[in-house]
Amino acid sequence: MALQDYRNDMQRCSRCSCCKWPPLAQIKSWRFSHVCPSMVWGNFHAYSASGRLIAGLALLEGRIDYTDKFVEIVYQCQMDGACDISCKVNRDLEPLEAMLELRARCVDDGQILPAHMLMIESLRSDDNPLGEPKAERGKWAEGLDVKDIAREKADVLYFAGCQHSFDRDLWGAARAAVTLLRMAGVDVGISGTQEACCGGRAYEIGYRGEFTKYAEHNIETWNAAGVRTVVTSCSDGYGTLKLHYPKVGKTMNFDVLHITEYLDRLITEGRLKPTKKVPLQVTYHDPCHLGRLSEPYIPWEGVESKVLGQVVIQDPPKKFRRGTNGVYEPPRNVLKSIPGLELVEMERIKEYAWCCGAGGGVKEAYPDFALWTAKERLEEAKATGAQALVTACPWCERNFRDALAQNGEKMKLYNIAELLLEAL
Amino acid sequence: MALPTNVYRVLEAIVGSENISQEPVILDTYAFQWLAETVTGGKFFTRPEAVILPQDVEEVQAIVKACNRYGVRFKALSTGWGPWNAPGGEGVIQIDLRRMNRILDIDEKNKYAVVEPYVIFAQLQVEAMTRGLNCHIIGAGANASPLASCTSMSGMGLSGISMGYSARNPLAVEWVLPTGDILRLGSLGSGAGWFCGDGPGPSLRGIMRGAHGAMGGLGIFTKCAVKLYPWPGPPLMQIEGVSPSYAAPIPDNFRCYVLSFPNWDSFADAAYKIAEAEIGYVMGKQIGAAIAPMLMATSATEYAQIRQSGTADEIMQEFRYSFQLILAAHSLGEIEYQERAVKEILAETGGWIPSLTQDPQVQKTLFRMLIKADINSTVFRLSGSFGTSFGAETSCDAAVAHAKAGEQVKKKYIDRGLIVDDGAEWAWGAEMNEQGRYGHLEELFMYDPADSESAKGAAEFLEETSLMCKDRALGLPIFELVRGGLGPNAHDIYGPACSNYHIWQRKIKKAFDPNTASDPSFYIEP
Repeated sequence: MALQDYRNDMQRCSRCSCCKWPPLAQIKSWRFSHVCPSMVWGNFHAYSASGRLIAGLALLEGRIDYTDKFVEIVYQCQMDGACDISCKVNRDLEPLEAMLELRARCVDDGQILPAHMLMIESLRSDDNPLGEPKAERGKWAEGLDVKDIAREKADVLYFAGCQHSFDRDLWGAARAAVTLLRMAGVDVGISGTQEACCGGRAYEIGYRGEFTKYAEHNIETWNAAGVRTVVTSCSDGYGTLKLHYPKVGKTMNFDVLHITEYLDRLITEGRLKPTKKVPLQVTYHDPCHLGRLSEPYIPWEGVESKVLGQVVIQDPPKKFRRGTNGVYEPPRNVLKSIPGLELVEMERIKEYAWCCGAGGGVKEAYPDFALWTAKERLEEAKATGAQALVTACPWCERNFRDALAQNGEKMKLYNIAELLLEAL
Repeated sequence: MALPTNVYRVLEAIVGSENISQEPVILDTYAFQWLAETVTGGKFFTRPEAVILPQDVEEVQAIVKACNRYGVRFKALSTGWGPWNAPGGEGVIQIDLRRMNRILDIDEKNKYAVVEPYVIFAQLQVEAMTRGLNCHIIGAGANASPLASCTSMSGMGLSGISMGYSARNPLAVEWVLPTGDILRLGSLGSGAGWFCGDGPGPSLRGIMRGAHGAMGGLGIFTKCAVKLYPWPGPPLMQIEGVSPSYAAPIPDNFRCYVLSFPNWDSFADAAYKIAEAEIGYVMGKQIGAAIAPMLMATSATEYAQIRQSGTADEIMQEFRYSFQLILAAHSLGEIEYQERAVKEILAETGGWIPSLTQDPQVQKTLFRMLIKADINSTVFRLSGSFGTSFGAETSCDAAVAHAKAGEQVKKKYIDRGLIVDDGAEWAWGAEMNEQGRYGHLEELFMYDPADSESAKGAAEFLEETSLMCKDRALGLPIFELVRGGLGPNAHDIYGPACSNYHIWQRKIKKAFDPNTASDPSFYIEP
């Protein structure tokens, strides 16, 4: 698909602004009633999904041309998809897909951000967008004595992802995940220094060529290694594997699970038995890429036509992804399995959760905006009265940590795997 | 007319450089509007000269005074949904009130809230419900602004039977006049707070908005007290299910019905009887015959499959002369009484409850839709856009006359394939405002804004029904007036048939806005 393929969607936007709010029936208070960080940050309508559809249409119609402000509007957005979910309560449009195509169009036309270029250069040189040396990849697992799938066969590949691989503050979460799998008797291996980025961030910032390269490489590598399951603690990576990898058209001979799905399964099967009390009241942050953005890709190729006069239909019928089939219950089940732990929910959860702020290339290009977004989520977490915030994504955790540090706040922050390990 | 640089600098000094823009990409997102294609042939109205985001009444006042000083027109908007929000021509700056977004007070004892322009109904409703109160939500939906509706634009909704409509619900108001002077209406004008719209202090509700509102043509409203009403439900409505089929459990002291009737006349009789019995909490025709199959579908394609399979034929017939009704009571005894009253009314009018809507899950879905008013933009789902026609406030019998007239006209456009085949019926509204004092009905139609022939057909339909309003004395076609399709002198067409209101309206405009600074395009040209 290309930008012009969404021209009808752009023309059919009604400018109702539902993309700025959670699904209206799900609003629970004035304070936490917004769902689009970009819109709250930018204020002009252009910063909403509707605004970006209109900008795309204006570009296609030749009403406007690229400017620095145009590019800022396109990229000052986490691409968290909340707008898409709210829109689809009442509409059959694809605002997020159109916004992704707008970014790809910008890249094709050379309208790029220096910060994103650095990410891409780092990808090209070191297989990660973080500017870290490839040789350092795999250090997070030192001392774990875990299989390297380049040398040994394993049923399950643990894919650490870039953030877990290079951010020492987050190594504990990856190590906890592998430890838990091994405690449950899972035959698990890693790729160590040979692991490469999933390519998801490249896709989000519009660099389709880089994405395809990594998707094809990883699928081929994992197929060749004969792994039956790829497990990751990185929600960004998980969402990429579930949603974007199928788009490249290569057969994937493996299942993809997020660590919370696997842990939930192991607990249900009795292979992990949390027995130690963890007396803590926590609230859980749904990562966008584990929630609404992890809904599996639903391939559709067809045409739009009309019946009953002007009713617009898709032939063959198209299933719309409305975010409700994301991974929501497994992480909650894991938390509820921990003795002594109490889970209290925030107001904006599951398919209409507020984003952590890190995604879509925002943390790299607009760090202030990323931190502000995280602080807004921390305020919501604090409003529950919980002592700790739990998440299941290293990008979220990194951004929350940075926001807490900037504010000098003491709220506890946990990765779900680390918390479970405490209970075993 | 380009905005002179020196004027831009003056405006920039008022709000700060980050809150004003002349970037084309930003301006175009304000020129783009629903229905534009039926007026301009494209998705865009005239591009504003600049967009400016004030944060308080002082900044609004300074902007308006600057506009008067430099001969610049302004147009304010809150949520900005609808053609009347767009600049009516060249030389207009757009004042986006988005940063003024607070609920300033909820007075539980006196049952009102004080809101700023960018508060939406959904926000106000959830805050009110925690206090055992509720607010009237207009037909446009919970994503619209209570302040904008109360001060500036029509305001019909299905809770009108128990909560009036938006002309009734504003209390005290803070109003920046087109000249930049601040006028405080009602009790606020005498320093007595927000509790009353009509005094002690100036009472100018009729001039401020009349029946339909000035739609941004008579200054800017910066704060408004809005009436609240009892809510005997839970402080927070639990929502079940998944999108797009969210549902809300129905408390024991509520009932949710669809009531069907054999024809329009028995429909109107029943509406009167329910209003006279004073038992309705929400009542009206939200879901017309054509939209009823959407209760079983999650997309336009599924909807079409259901329609084409014939399985929806009976449902559509049952919804043809139907309205939805929610009963709410403060005790179980009272709800039982209300329930018996409904049964008696059905018996007297030959009405019945369609089998589809006896399904508890469908009832829960309807309950959510009608209380939360969150489905209203679903009217865009099937074809991409919709419009509506007629719309005068009148008696329920006269509203039914609108429905009958609408059916006749609509069939021609359906036969030509220009609009959605909805069985030539989608009368929306029929709410009996204020327990039956008057009713309201519009004829909705759906078209494709991405299809120029369909858009042209929609425009033709609107023009034909609007002229019919005059020829058959069906009242003001409110929607045509706010679409802008009749041009700047629209009121001259209808004024002579309606007590020459246009002469008075023009005089008001001249008296309050001597410099024509407040964009008159959707109000009245001086």
